[in-house]
Amino acid sequence: MIDLVQTLGSGILVGLVYALLGLCIVIIFKASEAFNFAIGEFLILGSFLFYVLFFNETLPWHRALPLGALIFLFFSYVLFFDISARFLIALPSGLVTGFLIFCVLFFGLNLPSLVPSPLLRFIIAFPLGLLAAGIVGSMVERITIKPLLGRSPISMTIVTLGLGFFLRGCIQLIWGSHAYPFFLDLPDITIEMGDFLFLSDPIWAGILSLLTFGLVIVFLFRTRWGLAIRATSEDQAKAMAFGINARFILLIVWAISALCIAVAGIMISNFGALQVGMGFVGLRAIPVVLIGGMDSIGGALVGGVIVGMCEALAGAYLEPMGLIGFKDVAPYILLLIVLFIRPYGLFGTVRIERV
Amino acid sequence: MKQRAFLVFASILAMVFFLVGPISAKEIKTLSQFPMSGPVGSLPEFGWGFIDGMNWVNNEGGGVNGKKIKWFLEDFRYNPTVEVANFSKYTAEHPPDELLMATGYITGGLKPLIEKVNKEQKIPWLDGSYSTEIFGAEGGPSKYPYYYSLGATYGDQIKVLMRWIKENHKGKGKPRVAFVYSPTAWGRDGTPEGIAYAKKLGFDVVAEIEYPYTATSATNECMQLRKAKAQYVIYHGYSGATSYTAIFFKTLKKIIPKAQLMGTHYTTGRFPVLVAQEAFDGYIGVATRPFSDPVPRAKYPKDNAMVKLAHEFAQKYRPEEYKKGLKGGIKDMFLYMEGLTYAFMLQKALTDADNAGELTREGVKKALDNMVWDFKGMFGGKTFSYKSHTIPMLQIFKAKVKMVKMGDKMVPTGGVYPITDWINTDEIKW
Repeated sequence: MIDLVQTLGSGILVGLVYALLGLCIVIIFKASEAFNFAIGEFLILGSFLFYVLFFNETLPWHRALPLGALIFLFFSYVLFFDISARFLIALPSGLVTGFLIFCVLFFGLNLPSLVPSPLLRFIIAFPLGLLAAGIVGSMVERITIKPLLGRSPISMTIVTLGLGFFLRGCIQLIWGSHAYPFFLDLPDITIEMGDFLFLSDPIWAGILSLLTFGLVIVFLFRTRWGLAIRATSEDQAKAMAFGINARFILLIVWAISALCIAVAGIMISNFGALQVGMGFVGLRAIPVVLIGGMDSIGGALVGGVIVGMCEALAGAYLEPMGLIGFKDVAPYILLLIVLFIRPYGLFGTVRIERV
Repeated sequence: MKQRAFLVFASILAMVFFLVGPISAKEIKTLSQFPMSGPVGSLPEFGWGFIDGMNWVNNEGGGVNGKKIKWFLEDFRYNPTVEVANFSKYTAEHPPDELLMATGYITGGLKPLIEKVNKEQKIPWLDGSYSTEIFGAEGGPSKYPYYYSLGATYGDQIKVLMRWIKENHKGKGKPRVAFVYSPTAWGRDGTPEGIAYAKKLGFDVVAEIEYPYTATSATNECMQLRKAKAQYVIYHGYSGATSYTAIFFKTLKKIIPKAQLMGTHYTTGRFPVLVAQEAFDGYIGVATRPFSDPVPRAKYPKDNAMVKLAHEFAQKYRPEEYKKGLKGGIKDMFLYMEGLTYAFMLQKALTDADNAGELTREGVKKALDNMVWDFKGMFGGKTFSYKSHTIPMLQIFKAKVKMVKMGDKMVPTGGVYPITDWINTDEIKW
């Protein structure tokens, strides 16, 4: 019994991280009906952006400068075309932002010397890293997804496949393919009672994932922008008729999604190390959303916890019986069972299409 | 008369030129393949070491008794199919009396080439694989006469660790040993031999766990080890440079800090010092090469001639890469030294064959079989014989990692340091 509780507990903690990954897929799917296959690459990218700030990992000028220039172009473009700012405001604002990004990448924030406490450093670097991930997410949306608006969602989905390869190449070019040490040194909240042992890092991962999940829900259901996002998700054309800038909403959705993926990436990296090869973790979101329902936010939470528990149970009870590697397969078997019973997932909207 | 004598002399001279001409025009060619890019990670250091080594061999090193080696280098991107295809291409393009040796790097490439290398081409093949199946008791020279490995088999590596446990186990009762290995041909290679040997020595084998490369958490595995009260955990079939290794080491250190973590060649090295940091402290592992690259790099062991040579080579021919280290340069000097090792090995085998007057594939094979060498002092002056077709030298190392403040950052320092002399596995009676 103790073993079972221990296993389920560990599974739930990891499952909450998976749930966050699932949420990222769901909100993009709801907004554009596309599936983001580049989730793994966003996960690594977000983690690296946080890494740059938290560990003061600087880049040589020939890598930092193009990135700064890209930020300048992007900011100027968004300010001028999307927010309709004046040219004389958009251009200098973009220039300043690009220059700041270049400085951060080239010189570093130098947080370790300014803030000796790891917790305080984390509190500063975490939102900044997530902001950076959000900006990159919106940049990617502008360059790759926006031109496809109005076309079939399948074309967007296929673009994300290519995008994954492109982003992976870029990450390798900038940071290489070797592993980076990742120690957040958050306060130790390990729970040890008799035979029960829950390590600090997974508990932090669970807490922060849940917190991020909650914040996204509050944003979606308690803010005007959230309302606009939900309206756009329901019907893009109608939302536009009511004066909602659906294109800008899509940009926000991608930014939020990239931000949440970064939280999951940072937490998973903290279990071990950060490496471009760990992008496969993002694909754990596939069984999560298909079990929970592609368009259900609550379903993502339930799906994530189910997948986490399923993996943990398979690893603890089935693999020792000789079913080696079953841990990786078990969520997909469960997925097949769920799809046989409920083709739209546990909480997915049942769609009836008349032909 | 004089005219006739002149004609005879001229004819003989012409015949000599006719016959000797093509022989002297014959080139000495070799093919080498390294994983320099690809999904496993970008490891150009192998190639850099090999290129620098071969350039040195052909110029300052005097080639093969003055003759230059025409060497081909291919990046097989850690893909066995590419390795096999490259070999087929080169053997089709170059005649057998010119292409005298080939080298490869992984077990995955060795297996599909068994027939082609050992029966069709009969070309001496040096490989970075330490496969027990190919080079162990059930394989070896009698079964695969043209395959040569550059290190002791994984089975022998694990068995050496078992012997260390037997000699150093403190505490009551039998040592409780657990095996954690990757669900790959590499991870499964050598593990059954290790388990059988542990049982033979009277140990309790308390757990056998396959831990996958795709792991995001090692909590369940480590909890199983804790439940089994494992005292020694053998971690085999993993690179020390990866996130999954860091996950396992960090988790194990927290869940069962008293267990002795042990590992085989590719886990023992510089990378875990950088990636797993203090979680790697106290690790004990075997390696088939001397440890060559502590953190910081300047503190490398200068008493080992080959290590010193490798560092000097890198500083001379790759100063930028040497300085850059992890940031796009030479990440671990072992990788560079390995490339250099291949270059010296090719020169030694070809020169020995040439000295014996048989610069052919068969001649090179004989030279390798009869080779007794200290590998430029790599094994602390100890020599090895290549009769078993593996370089049977091993050493046991222990990791010492300490975090020190450097500027504003806490950085790991240390490495793995030898705790035994070099062990010749051919001389051990298991």
